[in-house]
Amino acid sequence: MTQLVQALVLGLLIGGVYALMASGLTLIFGVMNIINVAHGALLILVAFLTWKTWSVTGIDPILLAVVMTPLMFGVGWLLYKGVLSRISGSSPGMSVLLTFGIAITIEGILNVTAGNKFRSATPSYFSQSFRILGISLPKAQVYGCIAAVLVLGLLYVVLAKTWTGRAIRATAQNPSGAALIGIQASGVAALAFAIGTATTGVGGSVLSVLYPFFPASHYDWISRLLGIIVLGGMGSLAGALVGAIVLGLAETLTATYVSLQWSTLIFYAVIMIVLLFRPQGLFGSRLRQDVMA
Amino acid sequence: MTTLGRIRALTSGRSGRLVPLLLFVVLVGYPVVFPFAIYEQGVLLLAFLLALMAVSWNIVSGFAGYVSLGHSVFLGLGAYTGGLLAEHFQVNPLWFMPVGGLVAFVAATLVGMVVLRARGHAFVIITIALLLAMQVLVNNFSQVTHGSNGVNVPLPTWSSDYQNMPFYYMFLALLAATVGFAAWVRRTKFGTGLLAIREDEDKAAAIGVNTTRYKVLAYAASAVPIGVAGVVYAYFLSFLNPIGAFSLLTSVTIVLSALLGGRGTLWGPVLGGFVVTIVTEVANVYGGGTDSRLLVLGLALVLVVLFLPRGVLPAISARLARRRAAAQTVEYTDQAGVASARTPIVVSPRSAPAAQTPGRTAAPLLEIRGAARSFGGLRAVDGVDLTVEAGSITALIGPNGSGKTTLFNLVTGAMSLGSGEIWFDGTRIDQLPPWERAHLGLGRTFQITRLFKSMTVLENVVAPLPTAGWGLMAKDAVSGHEAERARELLDFVGLGRFGAQQAGSLSYGQQKLVELAQVLMLEPKMILLDEPAGGINPTLINRMVEIIRDLNRQGIAFLVVEHNIPLVLDLCDPVAVLSRGQVIAQGPPSIVRADPAVLEAYLGPEWLPADPVPGPVLKPADLSVKGG
Amino acid sequence: MARQHDSGNFARHARSVTPIRAIATGVAVLLAVGACGTAPSKTAAADNSKPLVVGISLPLTGDFSQPGGEARKGYEIWRDQVNADGGLLGRKIELKITDDASNQDTVVTDYTKLITQDKVDLLLGTFSTLLNFPASAVAEKNKMLYVEPAGGAPKMFDRGFTKLFFAQQATASHQPDVFVDYIKSLPESERPKTAAYPTQDDPFTTPVIESMQKQLEALGVKTVYTTTYPADATNFQTIASAIAAKKPDLIAQGAVFEDGVGLVRSLQQLNYTPKVLFQTSAPSNAGQYSDGIGKANTEGVFYTVSWNEKAKTPNNAEFVAEYAKRYNGGIPAEDAADAYAAAQVVQAAAKAVGKIDQDAMATWLHANKVETILGTLAWDQTGAPTSQFLLAQWQNGAPEVVAPKEAATVDKVVTKTPWQ
Repeated sequence: MTQLVQALVLGLLIGGVYALMASGLTLIFGVMNIINVAHGALLILVAFLTWKTWSVTGIDPILLAVVMTPLMFGVGWLLYKGVLSRISGSSPGMSVLLTFGIAITIEGILNVTAGNKFRSATPSYFSQSFRILGISLPKAQVYGCIAAVLVLGLLYVVLAKTWTGRAIRATAQNPSGAALIGIQASGVAALAFAIGTATTGVGGSVLSVLYPFFPASHYDWISRLLGIIVLGGMGSLAGALVGAIVLGLAETLTATYVSLQWSTLIFYAVIMIVLLFRPQGLFGSRLRQDVMA
Repeated sequence: MTTLGRIRALTSGRSGRLVPLLLFVVLVGYPVVFPFAIYEQGVLLLAFLLALMAVSWNIVSGFAGYVSLGHSVFLGLGAYTGGLLAEHFQVNPLWFMPVGGLVAFVAATLVGMVVLRARGHAFVIITIALLLAMQVLVNNFSQVTHGSNGVNVPLPTWSSDYQNMPFYYMFLALLAATVGFAAWVRRTKFGTGLLAIREDEDKAAAIGVNTTRYKVLAYAASAVPIGVAGVVYAYFLSFLNPIGAFSLLTSVTIVLSALLGGRGTLWGPVLGGFVVTIVTEVANVYGGGTDSRLLVLGLALVLVVLFLPRGVLPAISARLARRRAAAQTVEYTDQAGVASARTPIVVSPRSAPAAQTPGRTAAPLLEIRGAARSFGGLRAVDGVDLTVEAGSITALIGPNGSGKTTLFNLVTGAMSLGSGEIWFDGTRIDQLPPWERAHLGLGRTFQITRLFKSMTVLENVVAPLPTAGWGLMAKDAVSGHEAERARELLDFVGLGRFGAQQAGSLSYGQQKLVELAQVLMLEPKMILLDEPAGGINPTLINRMVEIIRDLNRQGIAFLVVEHNIPLVLDLCDPVAVLSRGQVIAQGPPSIVRADPAVLEAYLGPEWLPADPVPGPVLKPADLSVKGG
Repeated sequence: MARQHDSGNFARHARSVTPIRAIATGVAVLLAVGACGTAPSKTAAADNSKPLVVGISLPLTGDFSQPGGEARKGYEIWRDQVNADGGLLGRKIELKITDDASNQDTVVTDYTKLITQDKVDLLLGTFSTLLNFPASAVAEKNKMLYVEPAGGAPKMFDRGFTKLFFAQQATASHQPDVFVDYIKSLPESERPKTAAYPTQDDPFTTPVIESMQKQLEALGVKTVYTTTYPADATNFQTIASAIAAKKPDLIAQGAVFEDGVGLVRSLQQLNYTPKVLFQTSAPSNAGQYSDGIGKANTEGVFYTVSWNEKAKTPNNAEFVAEYAKRYNGGIPAEDAADAYAAAQVVQAAAKAVGKIDQDAMATWLHANKVETILGTLAWDQTGAPTSQFLLAQWQNGAPEVVAPKEAATVDKVVTKTPWQ
């Protein structure tokens, strides 16, 4: 029983972090109809920068999110303006190839500059836990989840309450309609891409503490995030949240009761099954456009 | 100019074919002349393998336009199949080459059937997920695969003096076979259909291309050569492990090779495969071996996508063509088209229903009962009842936004019906996919023509499939009966001499005629024409009318949406009037013209009866319906 | 007709000369490079004035770059020491090291090139089992002696190779023998009663843990938990909580490196300390391991290792000193020592045979023992070594060898302390 509750708690804590990472990816897809395969690589890039800063200065890695987030906003903006805007309107295949190329480039840069090693930031509280009724809540996980939920909340507020946010949502729902009321699609796309990338600032700093990482870890992460947003429905923020929690729980439960070996497969299985039976995911409607049958 | 002239001389005629043959002979002879250049043979055989994989990838991702990011999964499947079977039976793995191909075929077909019913991003996600999932699966099912311990494949039995020479020839032969296979696919109607899917998938479905079957088959066809090669690869490596066999990096090099050389071309992936292998090897030997390999591959991928999206070969060809074009006078195609004469032919629908059963009062050819379809709150088609008799030319008129094009889309299957029934020639068709409706003999043209612009006119016309038969897909599209038929149809609409031209370069009116010829390839019983006279010059309008009458005399029924009311009244009988998603009148032109309801419907300011300019500018309402 | 050539049609490409030319040029360049050679079976006559070239491909980049880089250091120190002593068979040694980027295709091309193109006199092995598998096959095909510093997976030696030798004390399945002997030596009451066996899915750790489980079960230690986790697993909380729930006396983990640290950290979070903790190779990465789990927490952790810097084996002190001199006082990694030992094996064989004769050297190695910095090595007919690993334990923040007796650096074994 304790083991089950422990697994559920861990699953929820992980799910919160997944939700943050996935919301950036789904936002970009919603607005630009691009699957940013480089999202995972950007996460690892931030994790590495956080780790480096932490190991040199000793500043708390999760707090470093305050620096990393605006930094990644800038990186996202530049990536959009410099690279992605050049292919707007081409086929999904080409856009995926492009972001895939970016992902590999980032992996290559990390390989060359940082070397192919596992790293992980280990602040003093790393191996400590809060203990409630025999359940351990690892402090790092709790802090990470809190940071994720805070930023996620902020993101929702921005999207719901500000003009910019409404413009982004409007564009995601109906690009031509948004254009009619004077929203500039390219400006919104740049903003959305920058905000989506900024979430990797928080996600990556949290990742640096919670998971050891090395340059090629990004494949692992992008598969998880894709599984989440496919399940939730591509482009849907609420879907990303629910998908993240469901898969966080599924992963932890599989690892506890079956084997860690099979828990990685959960994400691939979800992608396959969802695309087969409910291609629009739980909340979305955009991924699979069926030829009428 | 002399070089250009020489190239032109070479590109035409038989000498062009001599060059690849010559290269092949050189590659075949190389190990004979230099039997001990073992290292070079080793590099070359890896180039053959990569080129082979790129050529295969090109079938689904280049021809059909569905990018696979995990294509090395089939190399791994083939290798593991060969390796495990060889280990189990203790025989030479090469015996299992067909099995490797079969396993790849089955895997691709199964996965394809799951995702290729869909469009968009699903496929690309699945291909990469499949590759990564296979790594995990092969690792985890260690009873069968030995997991991370890997598989020991028996060592080659030949004398070590021969080294890799046998592998060199095996991969070379496989490469030649794969190029031959890809070339054959490209020549068939199947290949033409794949290009059509890449260009415009909805349109492809409308001309009878079973897009799901085509895509799945293309994916499977692109898997087979790699699966076969995987077995040889296993023998060559002599040891397999999950991470190495299902390598993402291999997939990247495949994609990069094909993109760099020229996606969608026959020789581009071959060129790319050689360039990528040789450059990587040179970088490895002379670059001092740094961690930069990934970085270089990633950057190369980004740069190629951004700046050379069509690849080296098409870029060079385009430049050559431009220079050539500059050196010659350009023929003004529109005038030529108007001037050229039509050749009357017998088009004869498969079973001209009206002609066959003259005595019987035949059931209507097309019958729409209570058809409805709404977009959000807007009821675009709101309970339409409409019949089209065999042998008639029925007009469908109505103000903009009255639901005419939506109704067409419902009939042809481009959109799904909300409620109601549609019957065609005794079959209920509203649940059938578009291509099956086309196979029943239902063809359509589009308000704004939707030709496959980068394909030739002839390819456009040869692409349609009148039946679902598998044999038809394998028919030659470049010569032979199908191409002959397409040429006849082009002659029939008077555009015979433009067969080799790119469809996008024709004038708008000519494109409408080509689209009509394309539909005729379906041997239709009925054709839906969406504004046949819209936006084309009077000479071509006359020709269009002449062609429609000609075809009608041969038993083909028409349902025509047209804004040119005089034309409608002259050509059509009966006329149906659509307003706000409902048929408000139907009957002979004279009666409809006098109907007060019709007059009322047309009193709106939008109606510009004499203006032949096509829709988009004047019809915002119609557009927004389509967008929804 | 002018625009006809603008089309993307097939016929044009089939006839176009341009692509063919481009390919032809590329191929011609390549063909021009390698236009000479002799049959591989005919080895060039020895020429004493020329240096003795030793060909090695190492994963200097990519996944295995860490051990690859260390191995390079070991090989280079060996070369310089042998050359300072007047060389091997009177010839200076020259290393020809290429990078295989941790890629199986490349390692095959590399060794093929070294043997057939560069015509090296001797080969030395590469690092990681995954690369040694295909590389040793190339050597075997070319009838070259192949002494590998890593690659002890048992399957390596099922292939009936005659030129393959593994330059460590034992294959993976015999690696835990020394630990099992230690458990056996304990009085019945002090032996662990229950054990958990988590292991990474890795050809080098799984056989160790499987073999240990089998041997300990035979001793009556009850298995309460086993699991295999993938190489890229990073989150060990679920495994740790499952283990903690079973409360085993012994945790024996097949840990490569990061997973060893990860599991210990998760056990710390759950505050579960086993009575005995054994991990395969993770604790041998001295500094990184104690940084990773905290120096105080290393106390009492067991592991097996092929080499120790304090061992009194021939040349070991010189090797350690030279390494420290070159790399800012660093202690050699085990991988560097293993590479050095592999080179010593080849050196011994060449010396004993008196000339570079691949067959004779292999035959000699099958029949004789070689003294290396790892201790005395000997091989069976498959090239698998027949000695025993060292059992090491962290004591007072430093690794010590506790068994076998003759190699021990301390004479007592400490008990595991609870996590700090």
